[in-house]
Amino acid sequence: MSDNLTKVFNWINHRLPVQNTFERHLSKHPVPKKVNFWYLFGALAAVVLVIQIVSGIWLIMLYSPGEGAFASIEYMMRDVDYGWLIRYMHTTGASMFFAVVYLHMFRGLLYGSYQKPRELVWIFGCTIYLAMMAEGFLGYVLPYGQMSYWGAQVIISLFGALPYIGESLELWMRGDYYISGITINRFFALHVVALPLVLIALVFLHLVALHEVGAGNPEGIDIEAHTDEDGVPLDSVPFFPYKVLNALVGIGVFLTVFTIIMFFFPEGGGYFIEYANYEEANPLVTPDHIAPVWYYSPYYSMLRAVPDKLGGFAVMGAAVAIFFVVPWLDKSKVASIRYKGVLSKIALVLFGISFLTLGYLGTVSVTEHRKTMSIICTFIYFGYFLLMPIYTSIEKTKPVPDRL
Amino acid sequence: MTIDFKPLCYSLVKYSSTLFLYFFISIFINKTYAAEGGPCKDYGECEEFKHSLTDMPSLQSGASTFITYCYGCHSLQYSRWNRVSSDLEIPEEIFFNSLVFDPSIKPGDLMVGSMSKQDSAEWFGVAPPDLTLVTRLHGSDWVYTYLKTFYEDSSKQYGVNNLVYPGVAMPNVLAALQGNQQLVCKNVPVIASNGGEKRDDLGKTITEEKCGYLSVKEGTGTLNEQEFDKLIYDLTNFLTYVGDPDKIERERLGWYVVFFFIIFTALSSLLYREYQKDYH
Repeated sequence: MSDNLTKVFNWINHRLPVQNTFERHLSKHPVPKKVNFWYLFGALAAVVLVIQIVSGIWLIMLYSPGEGAFASIEYMMRDVDYGWLIRYMHTTGASMFFAVVYLHMFRGLLYGSYQKPRELVWIFGCTIYLAMMAEGFLGYVLPYGQMSYWGAQVIISLFGALPYIGESLELWMRGDYYISGITINRFFALHVVALPLVLIALVFLHLVALHEVGAGNPEGIDIEAHTDEDGVPLDSVPFFPYKVLNALVGIGVFLTVFTIIMFFFPEGGGYFIEYANYEEANPLVTPDHIAPVWYYSPYYSMLRAVPDKLGGFAVMGAAVAIFFVVPWLDKSKVASIRYKGVLSKIALVLFGISFLTLGYLGTVSVTEHRKTMSIICTFIYFGYFLLMPIYTSIEKTKPVPDRL
Repeated sequence: MTIDFKPLCYSLVKYSSTLFLYFFISIFINKTYAAEGGPCKDYGECEEFKHSLTDMPSLQSGASTFITYCYGCHSLQYSRWNRVSSDLEIPEEIFFNSLVFDPSIKPGDLMVGSMSKQDSAEWFGVAPPDLTLVTRLHGSDWVYTYLKTFYEDSSKQYGVNNLVYPGVAMPNVLAALQGNQQLVCKNVPVIASNGGEKRDDLGKTITEEKCGYLSVKEGTGTLNEQEFDKLIYDLTNFLTYVGDPDKIERERLGWYVVFFFIIFTALSSLLYREYQKDYH
């Protein structure tokens, strides 16, 4: 029997590189033997991606796009057995996706994961983030609640601020003179087919590029420099079982947090599901206070900090776009924050504070103080990136050890 | 000649960081003043409401109050009759015979209301909103406080106004139970800056007249204050249930799932430690 199985396996293997691919990318793939918890968020993002795809498929079975979208959500929440579970899994997953991706990106900035030769890994990652933002926005509109409607109104009207093409672009995006069932239908198509395809393709490229250059480590040491006679880095362990088991612990902790939110606090205090979205979209009534979900709020703060709509849109776009060029802004000889100078450390801390502050400010209503603060934080945000070539080249770095 | 930039740099850093800190702190302090009034508008902070979704008598009495007093105008259009009767452990026969009455309603029907939206929009100026999700939209605290803060105001269409929802287009349906509630002025002790009551030289408390207190004219309602509060509590409790009918089941299930993942984490961490010995 087992002989026959081997024959079948060999037959396939001669035609499709199953064993080779499996060993190269999974079982024998070398990973640095010493990393810290910051290196788990990539795996966690993959886990959430799977959760989102699976729960999303079930949601499509129950949801109906168009004017009846709001009622179809309430139908699945009440009349479908465990419909609430599927839906809360998807809403919690959306927030958790951004949470782990933000931490994953911060890890990149912390340990210089974008530095040579990992520039492409970083760029694919930034593109994933961009696609996620679009995916998240489209998904948020689908329940057709008040905040879905007015959030979409704000975002689509930003495109309307573009000179010349603005107005017709707006109309083209909506497919109607105002946001209607037609808009929901096209957003649905983009949310469940177009962008997931793009996301999966990008994740594939992100991983292929990563496996080509190998994973980084918190010391910023190139482990490829010391290899055994087979070319395997001395400071590495095979992906299976070592990295898998390590990730499993992280996944366990993560899913514990995830399920606590999903079962006990699905609304996340109005941050994961905004309370205003429990009212069906009403084009005639503007909510008192339009606020995006927490993961967009830093950019929303920037948008509000700039008095001009087009200018605000440009600043917002630049704030995301600037991530793409980080590999060329960092002139430091070392990768990890552990060996960088004090200026880099101060800059990163200030960047972190300003990002969180902008995030908070984006969820509350505007006052004069808050507006001033968001302007200051926007400057710090951009300062972190634009001054990077200066402070990373003038500061004194510490020597990096040879081995991990 | 060389200019020493150091003191200049220091003071620049000092002042800019002080300014940053000032603004940073002020955004959080401003929180309470920035909002447009309190969460319950003229009432200020809402009264706290603690739901008890396993208290069947309370939910049943709330359902009865809702169907008797509210369902004439307000629908619960995402909720079904038989779901309410089974969740609230009301036998279907009793439920339909003594609460629903209408024989044309089937158990599986949605509670779509008994008034057409078009008619009601014409009569009230605005169609009474569907209340299935009202506790999730405004919060149970808000609903509880709102229902208790109607007061007489002859300038309004229905002779009443509301502290939580000023200018509301709804008549006070429960006035016969509660009685006529009015805004009154009272003599209240003046609070000194140290937090205590202000007293004059003779030790007598200094009072001042303050207005905006709710007071029910005695003998005008069929229920006393406690009975009315209980009625509103039950009603809000029922609306909290309708807003999230699976909450109890969700949380019951949640304990098992969370417990599973805690065990999962513990076991995988033990396994990881064992394997880690290979390369440490």
